[in-house]
Amino acid sequence: MAKSDDGIHILQGLLVFGNVVIGMCGIALTAECIFFVSDPHGLYPLLEATENDDIYAAAWIGIFVGFALFALSILGIIGVLKSNRTLLLVYIILMLITYAFEMASCITAATQRDFLTPNLFLKQMLERYKKSDTENNNDKWMTEGVTKTWDKLMLQNHCCGVRGPSDWQDYTSAFRITHSDADFPWPRNCCVMDAQGSPVNLDGCKLGVPGYYNKNGCYDAISGPMNTHAWGVAWFGFAILCWTFCVLLGTMFYWSRIEY
Amino acid sequence: TRTMVPLLLMLLATAHGQVKLGYKPKLASSDLGGLRTTSTFVLEQPHCVFDKYPNADIWLVVAVPEAVPNFNNSVGPGTPERAFQEFPTNALAYMTLNTTLLNYACPKPPGELTVLRVGSETSCAKNNLRPTCNGPLPSPGPYRVKFLALEDSEPTAETDWSKPITLRTGTAAGPSSIPVTGSGHSGGMIALTAILSILFAVLLAGLLAMLVFWGSDACGGSSTFSKPETVSVRRYNTHHVYDQPAAR
Repeated sequence: MAKSDDGIHILQGLLVFGNVVIGMCGIALTAECIFFVSDPHGLYPLLEATENDDIYAAAWIGIFVGFALFALSILGIIGVLKSNRTLLLVYIILMLITYAFEMASCITAATQRDFLTPNLFLKQMLERYKKSDTENNNDKWMTEGVTKTWDKLMLQNHCCGVRGPSDWQDYTSAFRITHSDADFPWPRNCCVMDAQGSPVNLDGCKLGVPGYYNKNGCYDAISGPMNTHAWGVAWFGFAILCWTFCVLLGTMFYWSRIEY
Repeated sequence: TRTMVPLLLMLLATAHGQVKLGYKPKLASSDLGGLRTTSTFVLEQPHCVFDKYPNADIWLVVAVPEAVPNFNNSVGPGTPERAFQEFPTNALAYMTLNTTLLNYACPKPPGELTVLRVGSETSCAKNNLRPTCNGPLPSPGPYRVKFLALEDSEPTAETDWSKPITLRTGTAAGPSSIPVTGSGHSGGMIALTAILSILFAVLLAGLLAMLVFWGSDACGGSSTFSKPETVSVRRYNTHHVYDQPAAR
Protein backbone atom coordinates (compact mmCIF):
# COMPACT_ATOMS: atom_id res chain seq x y z
CA MET A 1 0.00 0.00 0.00
CA ALA A 2 2.82 2.33 0.92
CA LYS A 3 4.53 1.68 -2.37
CA SER A 4 1.50 2.57 -4.46
CA ASP A 5 1.00 5.60 -2.25
CA ASP A 6 4.54 6.67 -3.07
CA GLY A 7 3.83 6.03 -6.72
CA ILE A 8 0.76 8.21 -6.56
CA HIS A 9 2.68 10.94 -4.79
CA ILE A 10 5.32 10.82 -7.47
CA LEU A 11 2.62 11.07 -10.12
CA GLN A 12 1.07 13.99 -8.26
CA GLY A 13 4.42 15.70 -8.09
CA LEU A 14 5.03 15.13 -11.77
CA LEU A 15 1.62 16.47 -12.70
CA VAL A 16 2.10 19.57 -10.59
CA PHE A 17 5.49 20.11 -12.19
CA GLY A 18 3.99 19.53 -15.63
CA ASN A 19 1.29 22.08 -14.97
CA VAL A 20 3.80 24.62 -13.69
CA VAL A 21 5.72 24.27 -16.94
CA ILE A 22 2.50 24.62 -18.94
CA GLY A 23 1.64 27.78 -17.04
CA MET A 24 5.01 29.33 -17.70
CA CYS A 25 4.95 28.33 -21.36
CA GLY A 26 1.48 29.83 -21.61
CA ILE A 27 2.81 33.17 -20.40
CA ALA A 28 5.75 32.89 -22.79
CA LEU A 29 3.42 32.12 -25.68
CA THR A 30 1.27 35.12 -24.87
CA ALA A 31 4.29 37.37 -24.69
CA GLU A 32 5.70 36.04 -27.95
CA CYS A 33 2.42 36.42 -29.79
CA ILE A 34 1.90 39.95 -28.47
CA PHE A 35 5.35 40.76 -29.82
CA PHE A 36 4.45 39.43 -33.24
CA VAL A 37 1.07 41.12 -33.36
CA SER A 38 2.70 44.45 -32.53
CA ASP A 39 4.49 44.15 -35.89
CA PRO A 40 7.85 45.68 -35.00
CA HIS A 41 9.07 45.52 -38.61
CA GLY A 42 6.01 47.17 -40.06
CA LEU A 43 5.31 44.41 -42.57
CA TYR A 44 1.63 43.95 -41.79
CA PRO A 45 0.35 46.14 -44.70
CA LEU A 46 2.04 43.76 -47.13
CA LEU A 47 0.18 40.82 -45.66
CA GLU A 48 -3.05 42.76 -45.49
CA ALA A 49 -2.80 43.45 -49.21
CA THR A 50 -2.44 39.78 -50.00
CA GLU A 51 -5.85 39.44 -48.32
CA ASN A 52 -4.46 36.45 -46.52
CA ASP A 53 -3.14 37.54 -43.18
CA ASP A 54 -3.85 34.28 -41.35
CA ILE A 55 -0.41 34.38 -39.77
CA TYR A 56 -1.66 37.28 -37.70
CA ALA A 57 -4.85 35.40 -36.85
CA ALA A 58 -2.66 32.55 -35.63
CA ALA A 59 -0.73 34.96 -33.42
CA TRP A 60 -3.96 36.42 -32.01
CA ILE A 61 -5.21 32.94 -31.15
CA GLY A 62 -1.84 32.31 -29.54
CA ILE A 63 -2.31 35.23 -27.18
CA PHE A 64 -5.59 33.89 -25.84
CA VAL A 65 -4.41 30.30 -25.77
CA GLY A 66 -1.44 31.38 -23.70
CA PHE A 67 -3.70 32.97 -21.10
CA ALA A 68 -5.97 29.96 -21.11
CA LEU A 69 -3.04 27.62 -20.59
CA PHE A 70 -1.87 29.67 -17.65
CA ALA A 71 -5.30 29.72 -16.01
CA LEU A 72 -5.94 26.06 -16.67
CA SER A 73 -2.56 25.05 -15.31
CA ILE A 74 -3.50 26.66 -11.99
CA LEU A 75 -6.81 24.79 -12.07
CA GLY A 76 -4.90 21.62 -12.82
CA ILE A 77 -2.53 22.07 -9.92
CA ILE A 78 -5.44 22.63 -7.52
CA GLY A 79 -7.29 19.63 -8.93
CA VAL A 80 -4.30 17.34 -8.62
CA LEU A 81 -3.51 18.41 -5.10
CA LYS A 82 -7.16 18.10 -3.97
CA SER A 83 -7.63 14.89 -5.99
CA ASN A 84 -11.03 16.19 -6.98
CA ARG A 85 -12.56 14.25 -9.83
CA THR A 86 -14.88 17.01 -10.96
CA LEU A 87 -12.18 19.63 -11.04
CA LEU A 88 -9.88 17.37 -12.98
CA LEU A 89 -12.60 16.47 -15.47
CA VAL A 90 -13.34 20.15 -16.06
CA TYR A 91 -9.62 20.74 -16.39
CA ILE A 92 -9.21 17.98 -18.97
CA ILE A 93 -12.15 19.10 -21.08
CA LEU A 94 -11.12 22.75 -21.10
CA MET A 95 -7.54 21.76 -21.84
CA LEU A 96 -8.71 19.76 -24.83
CA ILE A 97 -10.58 22.76 -26.16
CA THR A 98 -7.51 24.92 -25.70
CA TYR A 99 -5.44 22.19 -27.32
CA ALA A 100 -7.69 22.27 -30.37
CA PHE A 101 -7.36 26.05 -30.72
CA GLU A 102 -3.61 25.96 -30.34
CA MET A 103 -3.43 23.16 -32.90
CA ALA A 104 -5.36 25.34 -35.32
CA SER A 105 -3.00 28.22 -34.66
CA CYS A 106 0.14 26.14 -35.25
CA ILE A 107 -1.11 24.57 -38.44
CA THR A 108 -2.32 27.91 -39.78
CA ALA A 109 1.01 29.59 -39.08
CA ALA A 110 2.96 26.78 -40.74
CA THR A 111 0.66 26.62 -43.78
CA GLN A 112 0.56 30.35 -44.31
CA ARG A 113 4.31 30.61 -44.14
CA ASP A 114 4.54 28.36 -47.19
CA PHE A 115 2.24 30.72 -49.00
CA LEU A 116 4.54 33.73 -48.70
CA THR A 117 6.90 33.30 -51.65
CA PRO A 118 9.07 35.91 -53.39
CA ASN A 119 6.76 35.87 -56.40
CA LEU A 120 3.79 36.79 -54.22
CA PHE A 121 5.51 39.92 -52.96
CA LEU A 122 6.87 40.72 -56.41
CA LYS A 123 3.43 40.60 -57.98
CA GLN A 124 1.96 42.67 -55.18
CA MET A 125 4.73 45.26 -55.40
CA LEU A 126 4.41 45.61 -59.16
CA GLU A 127 0.64 45.88 -59.02
CA ARG A 128 0.27 48.18 -56.04
CA TYR A 129 3.37 50.28 -55.47
CA LYS A 130 2.51 53.90 -56.29
CA LYS A 131 -0.62 52.84 -58.12
CA SER A 132 -2.50 55.96 -59.08
CA ASP A 133 -5.96 54.88 -60.21
CA THR A 134 -7.51 53.07 -57.27
CA GLU A 135 -10.98 51.69 -57.64
CA ASN A 136 -12.45 51.98 -54.18
CA ASN A 137 -11.54 52.89 -50.64
CA ASN A 138 -10.31 49.42 -49.80
CA ASP A 139 -8.06 49.38 -52.85
CA LYS A 140 -6.77 52.85 -51.93
CA TRP A 141 -6.07 51.79 -48.36
CA MET A 142 -4.13 48.71 -49.43
CA THR A 143 -2.22 50.63 -52.08
CA GLU A 144 -1.18 53.29 -49.60
CA GLY A 145 -0.14 50.59 -47.13
CA VAL A 146 1.98 48.79 -49.69
CA THR A 147 3.57 52.00 -50.97
CA LYS A 148 4.47 53.30 -47.51
CA THR A 149 5.81 49.92 -46.43
CA TRP A 150 7.99 49.51 -49.51
CA ASP A 151 9.32 53.05 -49.23
CA LYS A 152 10.26 52.42 -45.63
CA LEU A 153 11.72 49.00 -46.42
CA MET A 154 13.90 50.27 -49.26
CA LEU A 155 15.10 53.24 -47.25
CA GLN A 156 15.92 51.44 -44.03
CA ASN A 157 17.30 48.19 -45.42
CA HIS A 158 19.16 49.76 -48.37
CA CYS A 159 17.54 47.46 -50.85
CA CYS A 160 15.47 47.73 -54.03
CA GLY A 161 12.64 45.59 -55.31
CA VAL A 162 12.11 41.97 -54.30
CA ARG A 163 15.08 40.43 -56.11
CA GLY A 164 16.82 43.64 -57.16
CA PRO A 165 16.36 46.86 -59.19
CA SER A 166 15.98 44.78 -62.34
CA ASP A 167 12.47 43.85 -61.12
CA TRP A 168 11.43 47.32 -62.25
CA GLN A 169 12.93 46.73 -65.69
CA ASP A 170 11.94 43.13 -66.28
CA TYR A 171 8.26 43.71 -65.62
CA THR A 172 5.71 46.41 -66.33
CA SER A 173 4.17 47.87 -63.22
CA ALA A 174 1.69 50.39 -61.88
CA PHE A 175 4.72 52.49 -60.97
CA ARG A 176 5.84 52.56 -64.60
CA ILE A 177 2.52 54.03 -65.73
CA THR A 178 3.05 57.27 -63.83
CA HIS A 179 6.84 57.39 -63.71
CA SER A 180 8.73 57.32 -67.01
CA ASP A 181 11.55 54.88 -67.42
CA ALA A 182 14.06 57.56 -68.37
CA ASP A 183 13.48 59.58 -65.19
CA PHE A 184 12.78 56.63 -62.90
CA PRO A 185 14.41 53.40 -64.05
CA TRP A 186 13.64 52.36 -60.46
CA PRO A 187 11.96 54.21 -57.60
CA ARG A 188 13.77 57.09 -55.94
CA ASN A 189 14.08 55.17 -52.68
CA CYS A 190 16.40 52.73 -54.42
CA CYS A 191 18.99 55.49 -54.53
CA VAL A 192 21.54 55.86 -51.77
CA MET A 193 20.21 58.75 -49.69
CA ASP A 194 21.98 61.36 -47.62
CA ALA A 195 20.92 62.46 -44.16
CA GLN A 196 18.26 64.81 -45.53
CA GLY A 197 16.52 62.08 -47.50
CA SER A 198 17.54 63.12 -51.01
CA PRO A 199 19.71 61.05 -53.33
CA VAL A 200 23.45 61.49 -52.96
CA ASN A 201 23.90 61.49 -56.73
CA LEU A 202 20.72 61.31 -58.77
CA ASP A 203 22.43 60.79 -62.12
CA GLY A 204 24.59 58.06 -60.64
CA CYS A 205 21.48 56.43 -59.29
CA LYS A 206 19.68 56.57 -62.65
CA LEU A 207 22.73 55.19 -64.44
CA GLY A 208 23.03 52.41 -61.92
CA VAL A 209 26.54 53.22 -60.76
CA PRO A 210 27.49 50.84 -57.94
CA GLY A 211 27.52 52.78 -54.71
CA TYR A 212 24.82 55.25 -55.69
CA TYR A 213 21.91 52.85 -55.81
CA ASN A 214 20.81 49.79 -53.84
CA LYS A 215 21.68 46.71 -55.79
CA ASN A 216 20.26 43.97 -53.59
CA GLY A 217 16.68 42.86 -53.21
CA CYS A 218 14.46 43.32 -50.19
CA TYR A 219 13.18 39.77 -49.99
CA ASP A 220 15.53 38.83 -47.16
CA ALA A 221 14.35 41.79 -45.14
CA ILE A 222 10.76 40.63 -45.58
CA SER A 223 11.11 36.90 -45.23
CA GLY A 224 13.41 37.03 -42.20
CA PRO A 225 10.87 38.53 -39.78
CA MET A 226 8.00 36.57 -41.33
CA ASN A 227 9.83 33.29 -40.94
CA THR A 228 10.66 34.09 -37.33
CA HIS A 229 7.02 34.97 -36.75
CA ALA A 230 5.61 31.87 -38.37
CA TRP A 231 8.08 29.41 -36.95
CA GLY A 232 7.87 31.06 -33.53
CA VAL A 233 4.14 30.57 -33.40
CA ALA A 234 4.08 27.18 -35.09
CA TRP A 235 6.98 25.35 -33.51
CA PHE A 236 6.83 26.82 -30.03
CA GLY A 237 3.13 25.98 -30.04
CA PHE A 238 3.99 22.47 -31.21
CA ALA A 239 6.45 22.02 -28.34
CA ILE A 240 3.88 23.23 -25.82
CA LEU A 241 1.30 20.88 -27.25
CA CYS A 242 3.60 17.87 -27.03
CA TRP A 243 4.31 18.64 -23.40
CA THR A 244 0.60 19.25 -22.73
CA PHE A 245 -0.20 15.89 -24.33
CA CYS A 246 2.00 14.11 -21.81
CA VAL A 247 0.58 16.06 -18.88
CA LEU A 248 -2.99 15.41 -20.01
CA LEU A 249 -2.38 11.70 -20.40
CA GLY A 250 -0.90 11.63 -16.94
CA THR A 251 -3.87 13.57 -15.59
CA MET A 252 -6.32 11.15 -17.22
CA PHE A 253 -4.48 8.23 -15.63
CA TYR A 254 -4.46 10.02 -12.26
CA TRP A 255 -8.17 10.79 -12.58
CA SER A 256 -8.99 7.15 -13.20
CA ARG A 257 -7.08 6.17 -10.08
CA ILE A 258 -8.92 8.56 -7.71
CA GLU A 259 -11.38 6.82 -5.46
CA TYR A 260 -14.77 8.28 -6.20
CA THR B 1 34.26 64.06 -120.65
CA ARG B 2 34.35 60.33 -120.00
CA THR B 3 37.33 60.59 -117.70
CA MET B 4 36.05 63.89 -116.38
CA VAL B 5 32.96 62.33 -114.77
CA PRO B 6 34.77 59.85 -112.46
CA LEU B 7 37.39 62.54 -111.71
CA LEU B 8 34.62 64.97 -110.85
CA LEU B 9 32.97 62.37 -108.64
CA MET B 10 36.26 61.73 -106.87
CA LEU B 11 36.74 65.43 -106.34
CA LEU B 12 33.23 65.74 -104.98
CA ALA B 13 33.87 62.89 -102.57
CA THR B 14 37.06 64.41 -101.23
CA ALA B 15 35.41 67.82 -101.18
CA HIS B 16 32.95 66.35 -98.67
CA GLY B 17 36.05 65.24 -96.76
CA GLN B 18 34.32 62.42 -94.98
CA VAL B 19 37.04 60.62 -93.16
CA LYS B 20 35.99 57.30 -91.72
CA LEU B 21 37.56 56.90 -88.31
CA GLY B 22 38.00 53.30 -87.33
CA TYR B 23 36.14 53.62 -84.00
CA LYS B 24 33.04 51.62 -83.28
CA PRO B 25 30.74 53.12 -80.64
CA LYS B 26 29.99 50.67 -77.88
CA LEU B 27 27.95 50.39 -74.69
CA ALA B 28 29.62 51.45 -71.46
CA SER B 29 30.93 49.00 -68.89
CA SER B 30 28.46 46.37 -67.74
CA ASP B 31 28.94 47.33 -64.09
CA LEU B 32 26.21 49.89 -64.60
CA GLY B 33 22.81 48.68 -63.52
CA GLY B 34 21.11 51.05 -65.93
CA LEU B 35 23.25 50.17 -68.95
CA ARG B 36 20.16 49.26 -70.91
CA THR B 37 16.70 50.08 -69.63
CA THR B 38 13.41 49.99 -71.49
CA SER B 39 13.94 53.40 -73.07
CA THR B 40 17.56 54.43 -72.52
CA PHE B 41 21.04 53.07 -73.02
CA VAL B 42 24.51 54.20 -72.04
CA LEU B 43 27.42 54.62 -74.47
CA GLU B 44 31.12 55.05 -73.92
CA GLN B 45 32.32 58.56 -74.70
CA PRO B 46 34.53 58.71 -77.84
CA HIS B 47 37.75 59.87 -76.21
CA CYS B 48 40.84 60.29 -78.42
CA VAL B 49 38.79 59.71 -81.56
CA PHE B 50 38.12 63.18 -82.94
CA ASP B 51 41.48 64.67 -81.92
CA LYS B 52 42.16 66.01 -85.37
CA TYR B 53 38.93 67.98 -85.45
CA PRO B 54 39.09 70.52 -82.64
CA ASN B 55 36.70 72.90 -84.34
CA ALA B 56 34.01 70.42 -85.22
CA ASP B 57 30.62 69.80 -83.61
CA ILE B 58 30.43 66.14 -82.75
CA TRP B 59 26.93 64.71 -83.02
CA LEU B 60 25.52 61.33 -82.09
CA VAL B 61 23.39 59.73 -84.78
CA VAL B 62 20.81 57.18 -83.66
CA ALA B 63 19.20 55.19 -86.45
CA VAL B 64 17.14 52.12 -87.10
CA PRO B 65 19.20 49.41 -88.80
CA GLU B 66 17.30 49.86 -92.10
CA ALA B 67 18.66 53.42 -92.42
CA VAL B 68 22.29 52.39 -92.21
CA PRO B 69 23.07 51.33 -95.82
CA ASN B 70 21.83 54.49 -97.52
CA PHE B 71 22.59 56.94 -94.77
CA ASN B 72 23.22 60.46 -96.01
CA ASN B 73 25.61 62.39 -93.78
CA SER B 74 24.77 65.70 -95.40
CA VAL B 75 21.27 65.90 -94.00
CA GLY B 76 21.69 68.35 -91.18
CA PRO B 77 20.56 68.02 -87.58
CA GLY B 78 17.36 69.81 -86.73
CA THR B 79 15.73 69.15 -90.07
CA PRO B 80 12.50 67.15 -90.10
CA GLU B 81 14.37 64.19 -91.58
CA ARG B 82 16.56 64.09 -88.50
CA ALA B 83 14.14 65.29 -85.83
CA PHE B 84 13.77 63.21 -82.69
CA GLN B 85 10.04 63.80 -82.57
CA GLU B 86 9.64 62.21 -86.02
CA PHE B 87 11.67 59.16 -85.10
CA PRO B 88 11.14 56.39 -86.12
CA THR B 89 7.98 56.96 -88.18
CA ASN B 90 8.93 59.74 -90.61
CA ALA B 91 12.61 60.02 -89.80
CA LEU B 92 14.69 56.89 -89.80
CA ALA B 93 17.43 58.52 -87.75
CA TYR B 94 17.92 61.47 -85.45
CA MET B 95 20.90 63.46 -84.29
CA THR B 96 21.47 64.58 -80.74
CA LEU B 97 24.00 65.09 -77.94
CA ASN B 98 25.83 67.82 -79.78
CA THR B 99 29.17 68.75 -78.21
CA THR B 100 32.76 69.77 -79.02
CA LEU B 101 36.09 68.07 -78.51
CA LEU B 102 36.49 69.80 -75.14
CA ASN B 103 34.08 67.35 -73.59
CA TYR B 104 35.83 64.30 -75.00
CA ALA B 105 39.23 65.00 -73.48
CA CYS B 106 42.15 62.84 -74.49
CA PRO B 107 43.40 60.88 -72.62
CA LYS B 108 40.34 59.89 -70.66
CA PRO B 109 40.57 61.31 -67.11
CA PRO B 110 41.40 58.40 -64.85
CA GLY B 111 38.92 57.41 -62.14
CA GLU B 112 36.06 59.35 -63.69
CA LEU B 113 33.00 57.77 -65.12
CA THR B 114 32.56 59.29 -68.57
CA VAL B 115 29.51 58.02 -70.35
CA LEU B 116 26.71 59.22 -72.58
CA ARG B 117 23.18 58.38 -71.51
CA VAL B 118 21.00 58.24 -74.60
CA GLY B 119 17.36 58.94 -73.79
CA SER B 120 17.68 60.94 -70.59
CA GLU B 121 15.84 64.14 -71.56
CA THR B 122 12.15 63.71 -70.95
CA SER B 123 11.19 67.39 -70.88
CA CYS B 124 11.66 68.05 -74.61
CA ALA B 125 10.50 64.67 -75.95
CA LYS B 126 7.24 66.05 -77.29
CA ASN B 127 8.48 69.56 -78.07
CA ASN B 128 8.71 70.00 -81.84
CA LEU B 129 10.82 73.09 -81.33
CA ARG B 130 13.62 70.88 -79.99
CA PRO B 131 14.36 68.40 -82.80
CA THR B 132 17.77 67.58 -81.35
CA CYS B 133 16.26 66.44 -78.06
CA ASN B 134 17.94 63.47 -76.37
CA GLY B 135 14.57 61.96 -75.65
CA PRO B 136 13.69 58.48 -74.43
CA LEU B 137 13.63 55.87 -77.15
CA PRO B 138 10.13 54.89 -78.17
CA SER B 139 10.61 51.14 -78.65
CA PRO B 140 13.02 48.41 -77.64
CA GLY B 141 14.86 48.73 -80.95
CA PRO B 142 17.29 47.51 -82.18
CA TYR B 143 19.19 50.73 -82.89
CA ARG B 144 22.57 51.52 -84.41
CA VAL B 145 24.57 54.63 -83.55
CA LYS B 146 27.59 56.47 -84.82
CA PHE B 147 29.35 59.76 -84.16
CA LEU B 148 29.50 62.40 -86.86
CA ALA B 149 31.73 65.51 -86.87
CA LEU B 150 30.32 68.57 -88.63
CA GLU B 151 32.30 71.68 -89.42
CA ASP B 152 30.12 74.58 -90.59
CA SER B 153 27.32 72.08 -91.12
CA GLU B 154 29.52 70.03 -93.45
CA PRO B 155 30.33 66.47 -92.39
CA THR B 156 34.06 66.04 -91.99
CA ALA B 157 34.52 62.78 -90.13
CA GLU B 158 32.46 59.88 -88.89
CA THR B 159 32.96 56.73 -86.90
CA ASP B 160 31.78 53.27 -87.85
CA TRP B 161 28.26 52.22 -87.07
CA SER B 162 27.86 50.35 -83.83
CA LYS B 163 26.50 46.86 -83.47
CA PRO B 164 22.71 46.77 -83.13
CA ILE B 165 21.68 47.75 -79.60
CA THR B 166 18.46 46.24 -78.26
CA LEU B 167 16.80 47.62 -75.18
CA ARG B 168 15.05 45.69 -72.44
CA THR B 169 11.39 44.81 -72.61
CA GLY B 170 9.25 44.50 -69.54
CA THR B 171 6.91 41.56 -69.49
CA ALA B 172 3.49 42.18 -68.03
CA ALA B 173 3.18 41.15 -64.39
CA GLY B 174 0.49 38.61 -65.12
CA PRO B 175 -0.18 35.20 -63.58
CA SER B 176 1.78 33.45 -66.32
CA SER B 177 4.96 35.45 -65.95
CA ILE B 178 4.89 35.53 -62.15
CA PRO B 179 3.44 32.24 -60.90
CA VAL B 180 2.12 32.77 -57.39
CA THR B 181 0.63 29.38 -56.67
CA GLY B 182 2.47 27.91 -53.76
CA SER B 183 5.27 25.46 -54.29
CA GLY B 184 3.39 22.90 -52.26
CA HIS B 185 3.57 22.40 -48.54
CA SER B 186 6.90 22.08 -46.84
CA GLY B 187 7.79 18.86 -45.07
CA GLY B 188 7.83 20.57 -41.71
CA MET B 189 4.26 21.68 -42.00
CA ILE B 190 3.06 18.23 -43.00
CA ALA B 191 4.93 16.60 -40.11
CA LEU B 192 3.54 19.16 -37.68
CA THR B 193 -0.04 18.64 -38.83
CA ALA B 194 0.25 14.87 -38.78
CA ILE B 195 1.80 14.62 -35.34
CA LEU B 196 -0.60 17.11 -33.77
CA SER B 197 -3.60 15.34 -35.27
CA ILE B 198 -2.45 11.99 -33.93
CA LEU B 199 -1.82 13.39 -30.46
CA PHE B 200 -5.21 15.07 -30.42
CA ALA B 201 -6.90 11.86 -31.50
CA VAL B 202 -5.18 9.96 -28.70
CA LEU B 203 -6.32 12.54 -26.17
CA LEU B 204 -9.90 12.38 -27.40
CA ALA B 205 -9.80 8.61 -27.15
CA GLY B 206 -8.50 8.95 -23.60
CA LEU B 207 -11.29 11.37 -22.72
CA LEU B 208 -13.82 8.95 -24.18
CA ALA B 209 -12.38 6.10 -22.12
CA MET B 210 -12.59 8.27 -19.02
CA LEU B 211 -16.23 9.17 -19.61
CA VAL B 212 -17.18 5.57 -20.37
CA PHE B 213 -15.72 4.48 -17.04
CA TRP B 214 -17.09 7.52 -15.22
CA GLY B 215 -17.95 6.62 -11.69
CA SER B 216 -17.03 3.00 -12.25
CA ASP B 217 -14.90 1.81 -9.41
CA ALA B 218 -14.59 -1.59 -11.00
CA CYS B 219 -11.77 -0.37 -13.24
CA GLY B 220 -8.54 -0.90 -11.34
CA GLY B 221 -10.27 -0.81 -7.98
CA SER B 222 -7.43 -2.44 -6.17
CA SER B 223 -4.96 0.31 -6.87
CA THR B 224 -7.23 3.23 -6.12
CA PHE B 225 -6.20 5.40 -3.30
CA SER B 226 -8.15 7.37 -0.82
CA LYS B 227 -8.05 11.09 -0.63
CA PRO B 228 -5.41 12.39 1.75
CA GLU B 229 -6.78 13.18 5.19
CA THR B 230 -5.73 16.77 5.22
CA VAL B 231 -7.90 17.87 2.36
CA SER B 232 -11.40 17.99 3.70
CA VAL B 233 -12.40 16.30 6.85
CA ARG B 234 -15.87 16.83 8.05
CA ARG B 235 -16.90 15.43 11.36
CA TYR B 236 -20.56 15.37 11.87
CA ASN B 237 -21.24 15.49 15.52
CA THR B 238 -24.77 15.16 16.69
CA HIS B 239 -25.78 17.60 19.37
CA HIS B 240 -26.71 15.10 22.08
CA VAL B 241 -23.21 13.52 22.15
CA TYR B 242 -21.49 16.73 23.11
CA ASP B 243 -24.22 18.25 25.21
CA GLN B 244 -23.08 16.37 28.21
CA PRO B 245 -19.50 17.67 28.34
CA ALA B 246 -20.68 21.21 27.61
CA ALA B 247 -23.21 21.03 30.36
CA ARG B 248 -20.58 20.03 32.87
